[in-house]
Amino acid sequence: MYRNYEAQQGFSIDRGLAVRLSSMVTSSQDIDVEASAVSDEALLIAVGNKQDVEAFNQLFERYTKKIFALGMKLTRNEQLSKDLIQEAMLNVWQKAPLYDLDKGSAQGWIYTLGRNRCFDMLRKQKRQPNCISADDIWPPDFSDEPSMVHQDTGGQEVELDLIKRYFDELSEPQREAVEQIYIKDRTHEEAAAYLQIPLGTLKSRLRLALKNLQKLIQVQT
Amino acid sequence: MNAEVKLHPSTEMLNLFVQGELAIGNSVIVSAHVELCEACGERAKELQALAVSTWVDPSLSSEPAELGEDSFSTMLENIVKAPQLKSELVVDLHEVEFEVMNANISLPKVLAKAAAEGLNWHKSPGGISEANIFLDDETQCEFIYMAPGSRAPVHTHEGSEMTLILHGSFSDDLGEYKKSDFIVRDKQHQHQPATEDGCLCFAVLDSPLKFTQGLARFLNPYNRYKFKKAVSRPA
Repeated sequence: MYRNYEAQQGFSIDRGLAVRLSSMVTSSQDIDVEASAVSDEALLIAVGNKQDVEAFNQLFERYTKKIFALGMKLTRNEQLSKDLIQEAMLNVWQKAPLYDLDKGSAQGWIYTLGRNRCFDMLRKQKRQPNCISADDIWPPDFSDEPSMVHQDTGGQEVELDLIKRYFDELSEPQREAVEQIYIKDRTHEEAAAYLQIPLGTLKSRLRLALKNLQKLIQVQT
Repeated sequence: MNAEVKLHPSTEMLNLFVQGELAIGNSVIVSAHVELCEACGERAKELQALAVSTWVDPSLSSEPAELGEDSFSTMLENIVKAPQLKSELVVDLHEVEFEVMNANISLPKVLAKAAAEGLNWHKSPGGISEANIFLDDETQCEFIYMAPGSRAPVHTHEGSEMTLILHGSFSDDLGEYKKSDFIVRDKQHQHQPATEDGCLCFAVLDSPLKFTQGLARFLNPYNRYKFKKAVSRPA
């Protein structure tokens, strides 16, 4: 989808700029999941980007009792609360690649999964209808997200100089994301791993960067 | 987006909502309002952040000391064998056809989902149509359409009634209500909703309506029957 955008907009950046930009990006380091001081966010990112089992074990260790307590508060049932640990932590594992650092803390993200799975467990237990699930009641994004769908502006030609200038106007996180994908030609997964950010964050930064570029270009032309 | 929204759920209700402590019917109506009302969206986010910070604070939460962790190693092994998701399944459903209005209406997502399986309309006194949906066994949940110029019988509530306006407007002795307004009425209130231009609402009741004037009072047993039916699982 992003490559289509590139083709239609005539969006490309020369190698000189690529080299200059690459020097701005700090070198990649593997996240050390051994250290106990590692943040929940870093652990979650390692789980999402690298299926890091050790990082997941640490998250499991940190959150099991909290999820159990959440279950007891909502269900007042010990067995259901133990089942919730399984349901919620499975969800953490499965959805880790979708975690978006720009939208909140790992704690808030895990809380949301725990609450939603608990709500659905209770719904099933009471044999209530399937037409509404917790994810309908609390959708992944309550606020409207910018649309992923690119609007064709009619194949306009845009000066390369202009693009470069606009590119410099992007915030650093957005510039880094664009650089990884469009200049270094990395896959989303590679870029997320290199920048040590969740895949979901990479995608939303790209989306915002492209939207901003498009806006700037449209204002000028 | 909706600077004109006058009536909102209480902070207490929003707080129960973000913590997952409301019944499904109540959660659905609050969720629908929160989608329509930017101010409540922001408040809900703040309240959730507060709930999260309480949750992670060991001095405030009631975490057990031990959970018999021997059994967790198998659980862990199984979890990490599961495939991870690469994208969220987002169902973008808003437009719903309302045959009683002969129009397509854009609804908050959660209500569009609830209505997606089809609505079964029936007539009620005063030019009013209702379509029940079964969401839980504590609340009577229904879409209500008041045709232009209609007037409901004067009534009160044994418990509480929450109403969210989805299209059009209505008024009662206490005021006039427009799209996105979230109206709560209970046994202290006796009212007679009326509309000039027509109004589509979603309402959640935790007990039967009670008509208080004229012949409509003969329908009270029917109101009780309707409530009993609404909170029973459809066959």
